[in-house]
Amino acid sequence: MTALRAGIFLADGSSFEGVGIGPLGISLGEAVFFTGMTGYEEALTDPSYEGQLLVFTYPLIGNYGVDASVRQHRSICAAGAVCKRFSRHPSHYRSSGSLPDWLGKSGVRSIEEVDTRAIVTRLREAGTMHAALAVGDESIAQAPFALRASAQLAEDTPALVRAVSRRSRLDLGAGPPRVALLDCGAKAGISDRLSAAGAEVVEVPFDTGPKELLGLGADGFVVSNGPGNPADLGLVIETLREVIALGTLPTFGVCLGHQLIALALGAKTYKLKYGHRGANQPVRICWSGGVMITAHNHGYAVDAASLPDGVEETMVNLNDGTNEGLRHRTLPVSSVQFHPEAAPGPGDAGYLIDDFVRSLASR
Amino acid sequence: MAGLPVRCVLVIGSGPIVIGQAAEFDYAGVQACRALREEGCRVVLVNSNPATIMTDADMADAVYLEPLSPAHVEAIIARERPDAMLATLGGQTGLNLAIALAERGTLDRYGVELLGTPLRSIRLAEDRQLFKAAMESIGQPVPTSRVVTDVGTGLSFADEVGYPLIVRPAYTLGGTGGGVARDRDELAETLASGIAASIIHQVLLETSLLGWKELEYEVLRDSSDTCVIVCNMENVDPVGIHTGDSIVVAPSQTLSDRDYQRLRTAALHIIRHLRVEGGCNIQFALDPRSDDYRIIEVNPRVSRSSALASKATGYPIAKIAAKVALGRQLKDIVNPVTGMTKAAFEPALDYCVVKIPRWPFDKFPLGDARLGSQMKSTGEVMAIGRTFGFALLKAVRGCDIGRDCLTGGPQEGWSDDQLDDVLSNPTHERLFALAECLRRGRSVRSIAELTAIDPFWICEMEELVRTEELLRRDSGDVPLAQAKAQGYADTTVARLAGVPLGALRDSGIGNAIAPYKMVDTAAAEFPARSPYYYAAVGEEDELQPHSRADASAGQAVVVVGSGPIRIGQGIEFDYSCVHAAAALHEAGMRAVVINNNPETVSTDFDVSDVLIFEPPCVDEVESAVRATRAAGALLSFGGQTPINLARELHARGIRVLGTGQQALDLAEDREKFDSLLMRLGVARPPGRTALSFRKAREIAREIGFPVLVRPSYVLGGRGMEIVYNEAQLAAYAQSAPPIRPDAPLLVDRYLAGTEVEVDAVFDGEDIVIPGIFEHVERAGIHSGDSMAVYPTQNIAPDMERRIAAVTETLCAELGIRGLINVQYIVFENELYVIEANPRASRTVPIIEKLTAAPLVAAASRIALGQTLSGMGLARGLWSRPDFVAVKVPVFSFAKLRRVETALGPEMKSTGEALGIDTTYAGALLRGLIGAGITPPPPGGGILLSIADDEKQAALPIARAFVDLKYSLYATPGTWSLLDLHGITSKRVAKIAEGSPHVVDLIRSTGVHLVVNHASSSATSQSDGYRIRRAAVEAGVACLTSLDTVRALLVALQGQSNAEIAVRSLRDYVGGRNRAVLAQ
Repeated sequence: MTALRAGIFLADGSSFEGVGIGPLGISLGEAVFFTGMTGYEEALTDPSYEGQLLVFTYPLIGNYGVDASVRQHRSICAAGAVCKRFSRHPSHYRSSGSLPDWLGKSGVRSIEEVDTRAIVTRLREAGTMHAALAVGDESIAQAPFALRASAQLAEDTPALVRAVSRRSRLDLGAGPPRVALLDCGAKAGISDRLSAAGAEVVEVPFDTGPKELLGLGADGFVVSNGPGNPADLGLVIETLREVIALGTLPTFGVCLGHQLIALALGAKTYKLKYGHRGANQPVRICWSGGVMITAHNHGYAVDAASLPDGVEETMVNLNDGTNEGLRHRTLPVSSVQFHPEAAPGPGDAGYLIDDFVRSLASR
Repeated sequence: MAGLPVRCVLVIGSGPIVIGQAAEFDYAGVQACRALREEGCRVVLVNSNPATIMTDADMADAVYLEPLSPAHVEAIIARERPDAMLATLGGQTGLNLAIALAERGTLDRYGVELLGTPLRSIRLAEDRQLFKAAMESIGQPVPTSRVVTDVGTGLSFADEVGYPLIVRPAYTLGGTGGGVARDRDELAETLASGIAASIIHQVLLETSLLGWKELEYEVLRDSSDTCVIVCNMENVDPVGIHTGDSIVVAPSQTLSDRDYQRLRTAALHIIRHLRVEGGCNIQFALDPRSDDYRIIEVNPRVSRSSALASKATGYPIAKIAAKVALGRQLKDIVNPVTGMTKAAFEPALDYCVVKIPRWPFDKFPLGDARLGSQMKSTGEVMAIGRTFGFALLKAVRGCDIGRDCLTGGPQEGWSDDQLDDVLSNPTHERLFALAECLRRGRSVRSIAELTAIDPFWICEMEELVRTEELLRRDSGDVPLAQAKAQGYADTTVARLAGVPLGALRDSGIGNAIAPYKMVDTAAAEFPARSPYYYAAVGEEDELQPHSRADASAGQAVVVVGSGPIRIGQGIEFDYSCVHAAAALHEAGMRAVVINNNPETVSTDFDVSDVLIFEPPCVDEVESAVRATRAAGALLSFGGQTPINLARELHARGIRVLGTGQQALDLAEDREKFDSLLMRLGVARPPGRTALSFRKAREIAREIGFPVLVRPSYVLGGRGMEIVYNEAQLAAYAQSAPPIRPDAPLLVDRYLAGTEVEVDAVFDGEDIVIPGIFEHVERAGIHSGDSMAVYPTQNIAPDMERRIAAVTETLCAELGIRGLINVQYIVFENELYVIEANPRASRTVPIIEKLTAAPLVAAASRIALGQTLSGMGLARGLWSRPDFVAVKVPVFSFAKLRRVETALGPEMKSTGEALGIDTTYAGALLRGLIGAGITPPPPGGGILLSIADDEKQAALPIARAFVDLKYSLYATPGTWSLLDLHGITSKRVAKIAEGSPHVVDLIRSTGVHLVVNHASSSATSQSDGYRIRRAAVEAGVACLTSLDTVRALLVALQGQSNAEIAVRSLRDYVGGRNRAVLAQ
């Protein structure tokens, strides 16, 4: 079998040639890197990666095959996967096939046999950047031009979120309490964890308005993770502002949800140089001084200095001091930047979801 | 005590190197000492192992080279009055000592706080019964098991649950005395040895999880309850083979995120429950067919695995654990690799790490090489690669077992049945047997069934085997390039494909310089400042930019390390490499270390300016020199392994610094060396080299028996034997490795004189000889296995001067520029040269410590062109000290079944202890206690069983024991002779006479010491062999040389009831004219 030539081209002009998977053509997107050593399937299906080219820092990906039960979304969300080597002989009792086969069947262009560490070093030094992943000789030739053209295009967050958010409402689990989950591209892990904690979850589309939300009869409200720049989701921010101001619906946010809540409370967000994406980010809890190891996937962050009076910072990233959590002093609102539901990653912070559900039950 | 800052800490080392407890604790101890001093503590260190870096006088404020016995350590506590003690970095020895000191009330009496993990937690983790109950109480699954203290209960448990069963003795290291029992007989035997091996006579019997995956998690916890997983590791070999004997990969490769996190969560749950403060190792079994798992074992201390995890990730566990033990919190400690993030995080790797153990079966061909729950390897290699196959190949090359790929070894000649047998009953050769099966076309599935190795690994190996087969058929560019991409060395590719190395490199497929990647704990997420590298292929280089930035710092020099610890090449050589790197750095050079031993100090990235974690093989050393633009390579510090590279490196245009390649060849080449000695008028035992066994016989006839035979270019006397007649020579020819043209057989007249040993440094003009060691046992026992005393006790001053003079002449004539080790025999007042090693030796660290002579540093500077006179070192032979030091070898026979324990010219010891005192008798006693040879208690029993040729010599020894009021037991022949001379002893039946016989006596622990002088024709069937093995298995000291026994008598006669007086190394040595290197 002759290997299918492929290339990845970065906006800084560097390019790396490797072996391709998936249909001939070019996938464009922001190149970001994920440092988790396991959990490739959960990562590829994490809606927060919608439209991004996902670079795996771990070089051997696919060793334990694929298993639909761990997926965070119905399909692969990343626009492409970049890795040193995909395993073609996976071994795990839960595996139903190989990762490269699944990527190929899903039509997700991917590339292997590239120096991922060299790519990551560039993203670290220059910040995340646009990239083109080209499969096939003809596409390789066109990729630099396609990349230049795409660099002009601004990120369209509402479109990204719309692509991964559900279209209609879905009721899950038993309850009470009843928790409304605003799906801005929610990982399945969030509603799984809410259900496991005993909540009845009602998943609703991201553009659900305040009246409809309040009419769900929910005891609690969770704002999910999702892709893109939070500041571009003005409609959602407006909805949150109204719901929060009422002070009657306890609200919890995760990742993008955290950023949206911060914006609704009047704080600012900004883009990180190269984001946090992995399973090993240490988060210091301000009130106890303890440290949790948490799962992350975000390119934007909340500017802690911009938090208004009445809102306190509850957690901080130990590596770079960025904001990891907030709480309103009087209103029942709190949120975290990381992923307490893990999937993939460590479960140190899972108790936050359990505690939220428990607090609703005791109200 | 709470709240008060700890001012003075006593750090406990792990003692002599034995199987299961090796250099990793020197690495841990060094890190701990540095960390504690960084925190402003006064550090007092005790360790009986003189070959360690941690016992360097400047590692701690006071260093005690004293036995790790409760009495001696108590005396140190009484003298130094430390506030606290750190025992969790000294291996099992450290933990057991801490428990003993607590139990005898020492810690309370002197108000010494035990730092780190509380004693209660140590007991909980170590006591099988308490541990099982603790795990059950927090809902963590453990294998069905029962704690037993007698054989009968164990057998009835087996009747309930069936076989196979695993026997795990409590409080032992490396699974000593344990094993897998497949039937009633095996269980009875293993239970008996296991109960004997456990200090509390307790073993755990558990149902076997054979075939499950084995995983390890290295966890750290601080007093604020923050926990992190530093690394998880997956054993390629399934449960049932000790993790120390398994091929281990980091991070795990076949675990899904759910598997990984399930075990991670369990690990955190356990470490929190045990309230460990510091490092902890947790071993899991994971069912490959379900989500089921079991906790196998928890070690609440740093361990071999934590050393491996530290090197695998860059995260210095021991250093952080020491700070945590002082009460620091992970979130406040800076990650030394990045310098910007904190220690509270979990490293992310962007490479794959493979560890392969190094076993001693090349030295013990008759030993039982089956691998099980008792560890048998003496050391290990680690390799880092961007893929598993790449790392595996590097690890194989680095083992120094004559292999550089998976196929093509002796296994090609094995039958299918032989291969199957090794696949299902693993030995140290299983990896190669597996590869041979793949080469023969066996399916991955059938191999997985036989081995219980996950198919993932077998598939990976299959890819390599296919490439090797392809290369042998097709030397086209495509297969060559494919092999290079998979991680084969240029030399291997050239050899397999039959193309010249030059052609391979000219084509651009091979490459004299590899690109290097950095180990940074963070998968490149953060810039790192640690100069820790490994080689990749076809990828961007990260080393050269770093080198260019440092170009102004001066030239680089590559120090070549010694690879895995094995018998004959141990931690002593790592000591020399570490000192060489430090000396180069101080001299303004960039010190580059290349080595692949994860246990050692030399592979700590703090030790050198650049650490290249690669096997010390020819391609890798060449690349390291070229990539760092080094002036050359220093080969004389890492033992014989680097010396063996000299010719090829020289041929490739790499400068051999210090003693040059020609000089090395002159010292190593028997014919050239002989003619040199002849010219100098220096005697050596008559002998010649033979290229065939027939020729060897002719030579032996000519020079007269007994003769000493050995292959040239060997390490630790491998294949060396004293042969008394032609029949024995014929037997040797049968068992010895075949004679190779490049390694002929050496045949020497054997002289039973006093052996002495000298380490010196020579710069072309001047020599420094800090001291001379005299061996306690006569020539014929390998120098590494004999006790040695400094200063000499039986050598006249004239002879010492002659030794110094001959050594100097040899240095000048050989062209030495650096270290030399010369071994002599003084026989009938005549001096004979046995051998001259143009390199560091086993005794270098000891003589450096005892004389404060910086031999290695001086040798390193000579390699840079400096002179001894310029360094301000006193030249010539140094004066004798006012103390005596005795080195006592330590063996690991308890771990190695069916290994002959009688000493001979082939080295068998794994480590050593040093005893220092003001008298010879005192130093002997401390040395012996340090080596684990406890003097028999007053009135204790001593068994004598002496071969005929030495019976007369044994009489005064027997009398002396009687005078000391010991009760003697003797085997029939010995008894008759003693009786004839009026010495009372109890007659003990030979084995053939039926029970109760001599072995029963030993097993019933009726004797405290066995003296068994073996006849030279001993076989594994003889009584002597069985007596010696029985003693090992019952934990009774067994001395096989009468010279050793005489030394013990000297020690016993000098024993007094006075309180133990302890002195630090500086107390002994500091008064001497301390040598300082002028800058």
